[in-house]
Amino acid sequence: MTAGGPHRHALFAAALCLCAAAARADVYQEPDAFIAEVFGSRPAPKLLWLTPEIQAQAGAILGHPPAQLRQRYWSDAHRSVWILEETGKEELITAGFVVAEGRIDHVRVLVYRESRGQEVRQSAFLKQFKDAKLGQGDRLDRDIDGIVGATLSVGAMERMARLALYFDRKSRE
Amino acid sequence: MSPKLLFLLFLRRWHARIGFGAMTFFLLLSVTGFILNHGSDFGLDAKYVHATWLARWYGLTPEPPRQAFRRGRHDLVAANGRWLLDGRISGEKFPQPVGLAELPDMVVVASSASLYIYGKDGALIDRLEKGALPGAPVQAIGSDAHQLVLRTASGTFESADALSWRPAPRDAIAWSEPAALSAAERERYAELLQPGISVQQLLLDLHSGRFAGRYGPLAVDFLALLLAVLSLSGAWLFLKPRHHRRERH
Repeated sequence: MTAGGPHRHALFAAALCLCAAAARADVYQEPDAFIAEVFGSRPAPKLLWLTPEIQAQAGAILGHPPAQLRQRYWSDAHRSVWILEETGKEELITAGFVVAEGRIDHVRVLVYRESRGQEVRQSAFLKQFKDAKLGQGDRLDRDIDGIVGATLSVGAMERMARLALYFDRKSRE
Repeated sequence: MSPKLLFLLFLRRWHARIGFGAMTFFLLLSVTGFILNHGSDFGLDAKYVHATWLARWYGLTPEPPRQAFRRGRHDLVAANGRWLLDGRISGEKFPQPVGLAELPDMVVVASSASLYIYGKDGALIDRLEKGALPGAPVQAIGSDAHQLVLRTASGTFESADALSWRPAPRDAIAWSEPAALSAAERERYAELLQPGISVQQLLLDLHSGRFAGRYGPLAVDFLALLLAVLSLSGAWLFLKPRHHRRERH
């Protein structure tokens, strides 16, 4: 099998298009700016080390092992902020979660890299997470309505919300 | 024999011939379409195929590894967006490293915009992006007694845990420097660090026909036309005899 020049160029162009799509990122707010907005300034980060028990439960929530073994977070006496990343369809979504007294205070999509499904950043969708807490089996105590065409991004947002609540609980134990 | 019956026989014969002849291609389209539809469930976006012939077929020119970063018992070689850290492939789409530093319980790899912190067992502990760094771009990474040191466009900073940073003195820092690879090493690492094509992209190209080159999509268009012909001839073969029977009764 030999590859002709035009053939190689066509495939290479397709590969480049996919890479360009992968490299695209809509930054709605820098994570630093989100943290500063919540606390008024940027407090020093704290660390939650993912023990084997936490790794196992985080893996159960995400459906795959967590990508790293320590999680940075920012907190004061009442609230904690978690900047989490999870794959929607093919690319990572970066979202900020503010947790207060075991409930989600508010959520914001900070960086969106997928080519479609940006609707998950809209407040009409995100306000469904307001006051959500963990119920039985570390699931949210409510159903989150999906968005047609953004099913996988909605799933990723829901998993991150559960993870933020779980991490918040572990950070206070 | 009536012309209608002759036509039916002709249609049946060619329906079978086209169906049998295109069976392999229809199966290929069905299987690739089914897998692509469930690509996320199968985790295809994270799976890559690494093969010299495939890279050549795609017209990708492999970037040969030229240098290594070495510190203590650790070494890092990078090429084609892949890292080989202590003999372990770290993943795909990784940035070009600027150096490697060793702390008592971790190994830190710096790129110009991020730090990757690994445990001694090679597990990724944390990834720090621009916002968590004291400055960017990172120009060099090194270490002094027990501190990690970064030289950035904003100055030189040190940290014991890669979390809190403070300005560092500029002396007694062992900066990570690249070391040239021997010809044998280059050959061995090139084999290990071949560029990859994602399984998702490969299936997409097989499904659309692009994998076969510029005429591939036309071939798939022709197959789609054949599928339409099969549907129509199948419908005709199914309905016509029933219609005929009803007319006779």
